[in-house]
Amino acid sequence: MGKHSSYDAIVAGAGHNGLTTACYLAKAGLKVLVVEKNDWIGGAAVSRSLHDGWTYSNCSYVCSLLRREIVRDLELPRFGLQVIPYEGGASFTKDGDYFAYMSDHDALRREIARHSSKDVDAYERFSQTVIRQCRFIRPFLLRNAPDPTSLKPRDISELLFLVKQAHGLGAKELGETLRFWSMSIGDFLDEHFETDLIKTHIAGAGIIGTGLGVYSPGTAYVLLHHYMGDVDGAIGAWGFARGGMGAISNALGAAFEEAGGEIVMGSGVDKFLVKGGKAVGVALENGDTYYAPIIASNMDVKRTFLKHMDQGVLPADFTKAVERFKIRGSSGKLNIALDSLPKFPAAPEGATFMRGDLHCSASLNELERAYDDWKEGYWSKDPYFDLLIPSQIDPTMAPQGKHMMTVFVQYAPYDLNVDGVRSGENWNDATRKAFADCVFDKIEQGCPDIRKHVVHAEVRSPWDIENEVGLTEGNIFQGELTFDQLLFNRPIPGYAQYDTPIDGMYIVGSSAHPGGGVMAAPGANAAREILRTIGKGKLMPKFAA
Amino acid sequence: MSKPSDLTYDAVVIGAGHNGLAAATTLARQGKSVCVIESRDGIGGMARNAAIAPGVVAPKMAHLLYNLNPKTLKELGITAPKSVSLPTVSLADDGRHVVIQGDLVIYADGSAHPEAATFAALHKRLTKFAALLGQMSLKTPPSLAGGLMDMATLQELAGLAKLGIGLKRMGKKDMREFLRILLSNAYDLILDDFADAPLAGMLAADAVRGAYAGPRSPGTVFSMMYRLGNGGDVRLPMGGMGAVADAFANAAKLAGCDIRTGCGVAQVIVENDTARGVILADGSVINARSVLSSIGAFQTMQMAGVQHYDTEAVRRLRNLRNKGTVAKVNLVLSGAPDFVGLDAKLTAGRLLIATSATYVERAFNPVKYGDMSNAPVIEAVIPSLSDPSLCSDGQHILSANVQYVPYALAGGWTPAARQKLLELTLDRLEVYAPGLGRLVTHSEVLTPLDIETQTGAPGGHWHHAEMGIDQILTLRPVNGMARYGFGIAGYYLCGASAHPGGDVMGTAGRNAARQLLKDGVLA
Ligand SMILES: Cc1cc2nc3c(=O)[nH]c(=O)nc-3n(C[C@H](O)[C@H](O)[C@H](O)COP(=O)(O)OP(=O)(O)OC[C@H]3O[C@@H](n4cnc5c(N)ncnc54)[C@H](O)[C@@H]3O)c2cc1C
Ligand SMILES: Cc1cc2nc3c(=O)[nH]c(=O)nc-3n(C[C@H](O)[C@H](O)[C@H](O)COP(=O)(O)OP(=O)(O)OC[C@H]3O[C@@H](n4cnc5c(N)ncnc54)[C@H](O)[C@@H]3O)c2cc1C
Repeated sequence: MGKHSSYDAIVAGAGHNGLTTACYLAKAGLKVLVVEKNDWIGGAAVSRSLHDGWTYSNCSYVCSLLRREIVRDLELPRFGLQVIPYEGGASFTKDGDYFAYMSDHDALRREIARHSSKDVDAYERFSQTVIRQCRFIRPFLLRNAPDPTSLKPRDISELLFLVKQAHGLGAKELGETLRFWSMSIGDFLDEHFETDLIKTHIAGAGIIGTGLGVYSPGTAYVLLHHYMGDVDGAIGAWGFARGGMGAISNALGAAFEEAGGEIVMGSGVDKFLVKGGKAVGVALENGDTYYAPIIASNMDVKRTFLKHMDQGVLPADFTKAVERFKIRGSSGKLNIALDSLPKFPAAPEGATFMRGDLHCSASLNELERAYDDWKEGYWSKDPYFDLLIPSQIDPTMAPQGKHMMTVFVQYAPYDLNVDGVRSGENWNDATRKAFADCVFDKIEQGCPDIRKHVVHAEVRSPWDIENEVGLTEGNIFQGELTFDQLLFNRPIPGYAQYDTPIDGMYIVGSSAHPGGGVMAAPGANAAREILRTIGKGKLMPKFAA
Repeated sequence: MSKPSDLTYDAVVIGAGHNGLAAATTLARQGKSVCVIESRDGIGGMARNAAIAPGVVAPKMAHLLYNLNPKTLKELGITAPKSVSLPTVSLADDGRHVVIQGDLVIYADGSAHPEAATFAALHKRLTKFAALLGQMSLKTPPSLAGGLMDMATLQELAGLAKLGIGLKRMGKKDMREFLRILLSNAYDLILDDFADAPLAGMLAADAVRGAYAGPRSPGTVFSMMYRLGNGGDVRLPMGGMGAVADAFANAAKLAGCDIRTGCGVAQVIVENDTARGVILADGSVINARSVLSSIGAFQTMQMAGVQHYDTEAVRRLRNLRNKGTVAKVNLVLSGAPDFVGLDAKLTAGRLLIATSATYVERAFNPVKYGDMSNAPVIEAVIPSLSDPSLCSDGQHILSANVQYVPYALAGGWTPAARQKLLELTLDRLEVYAPGLGRLVTHSEVLTPLDIETQTGAPGGHWHHAEMGIDQILTLRPVNGMARYGFGIAGYYLCGASAHPGGDVMGTAGRNAARQLLKDGVLA
């Protein structure tokens, strides 16, 4: 028989959202326990050292979405969090040219003009539209998604807030907003730009992490999801967390422990315990049992309800809704230790844009074809990647003079197709190697001698990500970001406010509104709901209240 | 009622497709004098017949009725030709063809289909939602003109309250389901409940019919429901689709409209920012107090002169998505073909080649890159089996919508490319009807480019403009121009590119004319 003890609240999973919920609850005076299956905290926001001297941000690798309000509430800088913005980026073509994105406005205009003078103005229009859409959406991130079928005053007041925000846009913009939300990023970019290389450079943000192609309606929103963040108030900017993305989770963990919280690692939840329709505790795989009247699951909805709960306790149509929740793995990742800084011959020596996100895709059709491969269960033969070398900015990531490279790859399937059989089990050392080779081939387009510099590489398929982080199918957002799974539909219509059919049980991870990314908003919103439900809403700190 | 051309009509309608005719009839029945101008020698647009071989009449493009609304017909005084309801046969490679009629599903050999109950449940759910959308199709989309807090807007929205009330009546559970699936993709909706086989293929094919989208594209559940507005019945009109167009034309004439064919409109006369008539290709002038256009939206703007539109409007209209993906293949057969496993009644049905939802998605892939599908989705019907009047001497006509076929084929629509399209189509049909090819005595291939050339429809698009969620309702054809009024006083858009879109149903034309009257243009 294992340990038994009681708490006011238990959070299952020490991903950054679970930790965020835990922090807010602990700060409100609750006795909180976090249980984590791995021997480390952070989930997909983690730094690990897999090769001596190097630190990898194993999953997420860049930071922008993390809500400022939460950083302030929880005083994360005091616990070591430092986000360093990076500037620029580039896309390299096969024939030795490139398009560089630069944050210096004049330099950017000159660079665009080098490809097309028409696109210079197009870029202004494009960025105005995107910024306007960002301004529109940002206020919703730390609010509940109103339930349009409800007549509860709270839902109505949230709906009114939405109407007011929408009203602020004016007639034409309102129409443009509706349109933007329903468009494909490909069509949106085609309307603005004539240079395929520039379009492609931008389009990546519309497909990262999704099972959609650049021409699938709804991908303009996905782009927004990647642009609506900020670093130090600069909307759309991205940065590195010093020490890797784990620094965010570690800061949250430290803040939590300072507030009196307790974290138990190394054994996962086997069962959520339910009695008479109420959540009462968790039983761990190692036999330990912990009790609390409030249980917050940081796992995605599928894992929570289909893997760790007795089916009998859930309404059948709820279970069905969870079963059909779409959570497809579409991304792989390579984390690479390099013996020195590799050269991209096309880029001028010392170009600052090389510190940003690098790509080797040159046309929207190339990206769309990459998606077509994935639909059939193959990794893209000609993949899109988002490649960065953070050690150029953050020297803590690699030994002196050496470097760390992170390569996020779109698309890689979860259920890999080998000879017509689609299964996650098809991911093994051989297929992982073949996948990595395919990615290296593509990197060579921009960086011909990349292979010579590799000291160590971690290759991760969606299958591996699921097994390690517990993200079902390796979906990076804990659920696709499509209309049927956004706002009041996320994760399950009727349960979009962090609640579940089980009393006292909450969903606090990225499966909940406003979705995935290292944002901490689901975790904070859920904490607000939990505190409100137990009559302690006033104890929510001011910024995220 | 006919007037000489120096007189002023209340309205001139550009295009005698069925929507132009519906608009004209709506006005004429309110006592307005109307003249319809058609560039081609005959009326009907995409809904016309053609004598494609001696003794053989074919539905040139459109062939089946999905959405013709009895209410609209009655309102316009149209006596539609007789029509018969057809079963749909979704052909299977293993010969286990699936027959769908209304909410019933069985195998072609009469045995029970394991998914029959699931299908009936889905059909019921979707037709309920579709009925709500159907209500919206008869209304002008709400304006956003004053922003959301504006009184007029609130009234518009209150007009939609009927829909809202309908929604509330559905109950919370249904309403949540409606809001969840409204913008989602057909592929997931289908495969959540069905095995990926011919029944799923039929659902997927119907969700993307005429669209530049595959079943995995978000928004295709909307188009799926759109097709079910009148319950999902598929009807074959006797006398071909041309007979339906003729019925529209007869109603127009009966109401007193003039219809002039054989010379198109070259330009719309605009004076003081008001439409005042049209100039025809032969230079003749027809004066009018208003002009309605049933041709493409961008072309409608060009007709009046781009200078009358602000740059935003021009940009939006130029960006309208309208790449056609459907080709028409009409085959004259020397005798009735023999589809393996189908009896005479089923052979006369709507024959679908869409063996799975994945098949449909795969068929879509190549068109994105300017290629045609090697294994296209085909919707075929042999109307002469139900309607012998179409062909003489035991001949038959097989009418096929072939999807996906690009408008701009990489390498161009050369004779060889058309031949390839014909052969691909025949190859697919031969799989299910071996020997069919030998019966072919004459064939006609209409690529999306041909369709554009022959009807003026931009991109040869089935709906004149893609029915994507970014181009429907308040955004159709473009943001700010969804209320039929087209930028210039007295100028209205009344064809398929206006709300609620294409298919042979006449609603866009009817709605546009009603809005023109409501706006007081002819008061
Ligand atoms: C490869 C990759 C790259 C990404 N890149 C970025 C990026 O650059 N920027 C960005 O903002 N976002 C990125 N994301 C997305 C982002 O990382 C995630 O959306 C986010 O971290 C999810 O946080 P979470 O707290 O909701 O869930 P998770 O991080 O998934 O946390 C869930 C936690 O629950 C634990 N757990 C699982 N099962 C059990 C159990 N049975 N018992 C106890 N604990 C359990 C897990 O171990 C984990 O710690 C990326 C994701 C991936 C996978
Ligand atoms: C291959 C194909 C198959 C289809 N199958 C079906 C089907 O089975 N069932 C169904 O419901 N729908 C079908 N459709 C769609 C349907 O036919 C159309 O949506 C509908 O007919 C459009 O009607 P309309 O009156 O708006 O436009 P159109 O029918 O396109 O009419 C426009 C008219 O304007 C005329 N015109 C153009 N320019 C000028 C000018 N300058 N001056 C004067 N006149 C001009 C044209 O000649 C034409 O007659 C199909 C479409 C295609 C392309």
